[in-house]
Amino acid sequence: MTNWIWRGLRGGILATRYPFEAEAMPPRYRGGVQVLDGAALEEYRRGEEACLPRALTLEGGGARVDRGRCIQCGQCQRVAPNAYRMTPEFELALVPDEVTAARERLRARVAPLGRSVHLRHVDAGSDASCEQELQALFNPFYDLQRLGIFLTASPRHADVLVVTGVVTTAMADPLRLTFEAMPEPKIVMAVGTSACSGGIFAADGDVVGPVDRVLPVDVRVPGSPPAPLAIIHGLWVALGRATAHAREAVR
Amino acid sequence: MTAASRLDAREAARMAVERVRSGARFCWLYADARGEAVRLTYVTDGDDGLEAFTGAAGAGVDSIAERVPAAYWHEREARDRFGVAFTGLPDATPALPPPSADRLRRGQGEELSVVLYGPVRSGIVESMRWIIETAGEDFVHVHPAIYAKRRGVEERFAGVPLEVAPLVAEHVSGATAASHATAFSRAVEDALDLEVPPRARALRSALVELERVHQHLDALAKLAEDGSLAIGAAQLLAAKERVHRLLAEATGSRFARGVICVGGLRDDLAPPLLEAAERGLDEVERHAVAAVEGFFGTQSSMDRLIGTGRLAPDIVRELGGVGPVARGSGVSCDARLRDGWLYTPLQGDEALADGGDAYARARVRAVEMRRSFRLIRNALDSIPDGPVRSSVPVREGSAIARVESPQGELLYYVRLEGGAPARVAIRSASFANWPLFVPSLPGNIFTDFSFIEHSFGLIHAETDR
Repeated sequence: MTNWIWRGLRGGILATRYPFEAEAMPPRYRGGVQVLDGAALEEYRRGEEACLPRALTLEGGGARVDRGRCIQCGQCQRVAPNAYRMTPEFELALVPDEVTAARERLRARVAPLGRSVHLRHVDAGSDASCEQELQALFNPFYDLQRLGIFLTASPRHADVLVVTGVVTTAMADPLRLTFEAMPEPKIVMAVGTSACSGGIFAADGDVVGPVDRVLPVDVRVPGSPPAPLAIIHGLWVALGRATAHAREAVR
Repeated sequence: MTAASRLDAREAARMAVERVRSGARFCWLYADARGEAVRLTYVTDGDDGLEAFTGAAGAGVDSIAERVPAAYWHEREARDRFGVAFTGLPDATPALPPPSADRLRRGQGEELSVVLYGPVRSGIVESMRWIIETAGEDFVHVHPAIYAKRRGVEERFAGVPLEVAPLVAEHVSGATAASHATAFSRAVEDALDLEVPPRARALRSALVELERVHQHLDALAKLAEDGSLAIGAAQLLAAKERVHRLLAEATGSRFARGVICVGGLRDDLAPPLLEAAERGLDEVERHAVAAVEGFFGTQSSMDRLIGTGRLAPDIVRELGGVGPVARGSGVSCDARLRDGWLYTPLQGDEALADGGDAYARARVRAVEMRRSFRLIRNALDSIPDGPVRSSVPVREGSAIARVESPQGELLYYVRLEGGAPARVAIRSASFANWPLFVPSLPGNIFTDFSFIEHSFGLIHAETDR
């Protein structure tokens, strides 16, 4: 018979200190895309043409990255190494231009609760990897509970709606109903490139589009799939708690 | 293999049925439309490997579902998506009792209620709707309503340049991206008669086996969680995390995405993979094996699995089950036994169990995980020198390829036109296995549901596509 208590203790503490201390993904990890200066226009164009989800646009002799569309495949860097470089950056969360009223209200409400918040997840049409990375948040390496963040089954108890995947036609109504069942204030976080922008999927008969076609989205966490650290960063941004080691999101 | 035969669809269907009668396994039926003309291809797996029978569906075709129940959902798809008229297509899978057949047997006075479970369910799970008929606590009939997550990925391939098309395959099931990218690339390579360099084959083998390790750990962790074995689940998930970290170090992606391409690999991953394996593979294996052994050493957890969700080998064969679900019922079905693409074939070492219950399926995963570590080492220990990619010609062609994904046999059909896919069809392991969920439930009670679900390890994204 397995002695789990002994095994658990013997394993020691594995949990990261992020976001209170700095963390890094391995150097080879493909997180963000950096557009390098001074390459030939032809090189920027080659990268732009190679990009399957059309995350790159040519602009004023260079290129611009729509981070919410990037699937982190690294193809731009391979075809145009002088113009693009993949970086191991993981703090990639995006917020709308204005800090949304919902985020402000949630911040005010959770402050007296020791900032404890509950998440409700809905898969709107994912490729199944985003779910596994969300699940990983609760493994001993990330241990989300240490930040006062918990999962809840009931939307009635939820503060944050975490949505994965591009929204399919069949999932649009269930997603809307879940959102409506949540009490105010509530915030919506789109997790994964497909949820943020549709990624490689365009709206057609099967697909409605990114989450913001259906619900007001407060924070977007791109990635294909986003690493658990990237999701923690997104949650931290959603709760308005960016610290010295967890950068404020790009507007 | 290439799909070469050209017949009438009726003739093709007849030949497929004959093959199944003489002991072959029915794998797949897919439709491919060129303009108005729809062609059907029936795929079987026998002693000589995969065989495909293709014919024009123009004049309509007889349903073979009564004789070959495994063909039922494939015929439904061909009908609904391509308008093929199947004469005599039944209303429900013939091998299964129709919904509510038990109503009469249970006698009058006992009311059945219908419970809609999903598509939004508790926890971090994929969306799926189950329509459950119950008389209280026990399952009478369950009807999985698939396609909630249908994104049209097969259609998304059309016209995508081959250079980036494997990225679309990785979106079919991102959790098993290496298997999908390999299967797609293998089909294209066969269609183009392209030889993949041995170095790339060894690296692909290692990546697919690492994927098997993290997915089997995922399935076992969910079973541990279902039984409220908190520390066990945590240690299984921690072991899984170590695999993802190794992959991120070596490939730049925690799921090895963006590295497999047509002709081989995009980058030479051998140096970083060897370095990461040198530094961490022993430890990854030690933690994985310890967590799995601890789980199987916990009698209270095993009690929940033993006898739960039992599947007889006959129904597995009839409905065309694959992967650990089939092997848990003693039905041999491992593409690695016969497929030449692997750098280190299994050599007759198939993990089989004969209980047919959730325990047997978990056991198969545990044994396979250990063998995967051996296959990874075999591939990495003798990694051949040379290039990792062959140049890809622009040619027409079509082919079927298969890969043993963690969930089981995965089949891709690709037809190329002008250097890009014109039609891609996918028979995922989850698509083959979900109909088996229905006969595994009756006789079990509500609290068994999650154990049975997680013992199947279905990925709904690759079922719905």
